[in-house]
Amino acid sequence: MINTDVLVFKTNVRFQNDLDNIAAYIDSESRILMWNVDMEDKDLVLRVEANAIEPGEVINLVKQAGYYCEELPD
Amino acid sequence: MRKRDEKKRELICIKAIEIIVKEGFDGLSMHKLAKAANVSPATIYIYFKDREDLIIQLCIKEFDRMGEVTLANFDPTMHFNEGLKVQWMNRIKYCLENPLKMHFLEQAKFSPYIGIVLDKANVRFRQVMKQFVQNATEKGEIVSLPIEVYWSLAFSPLYTLVKFHMEKKGLPGTEDFVLTEETMNITLELVLKALKPA
Repeated sequence: MINTDVLVFKTNVRFQNDLDNIAAYIDSESRILMWNVDMEDKDLVLRVEANAIEPGEVINLVKQAGYYCEELPD
Repeated sequence: MRKRDEKKRELICIKAIEIIVKEGFDGLSMHKLAKAANVSPATIYIYFKDREDLIIQLCIKEFDRMGEVTLANFDPTMHFNEGLKVQWMNRIKYCLENPLKMHFLEQAKFSPYIGIVLDKANVRFRQVMKQFVQNATEKGEIVSLPIEVYWSLAFSPLYTLVKFHMEKKGLPGTEDFVLTEETMNITLELVLKALKPA
């Protein structure tokens, strides 16, 4: 738990099928332990709990699935 | 790596309750909350998975806290009359010291989240209270009643008076109402009389 980072991104993952589409990519990354998208939020926030992963790597995964993804600043 | 800061988390919780009391559950968005707590929306997501997770955690924590306060100096093997008095005193104390949170719990009770919340919250509290009623019934200190009837008689009068007191007024067209210890004792006596076996 100590080494687990929480990363937060703004996306356009709006519906269940969008979620299914990014899941194929995100689930393939073993360093990502848990993730979810807050579809009730206007930023459609993707929240990722992962070990030693760079935000850019998560962004790439989501972009590969064909979606928008930008890290939310602190 | 973002650092977890329990003070920050606590502030987020306090502000969330304030917004929910003022504007209802639908009035709470992560952006509004971030603004109120003076943090970024991203920071809120460090502590909570999503909006629903935030609401459910808030409810569980506050129901548990209310339960703890209510069980102070209370033992389910007490004589019913004594035990109910402790319960009344503790419940009054919680309401008067936490008016905002009391309001919040009332909202939570009528929200769609209550099912999930009660699966996890107040587990010990409910066990102890159930045991108390069971003991009192077995010892013949109170009449055997469906639990809802028992609860209505045992606690509704109290909460109604607390509400009058907190709103600083009684029924429409009457003088200001203040719940004094004397008023509480008179009411409690009547409740005990109603629950006593013939």
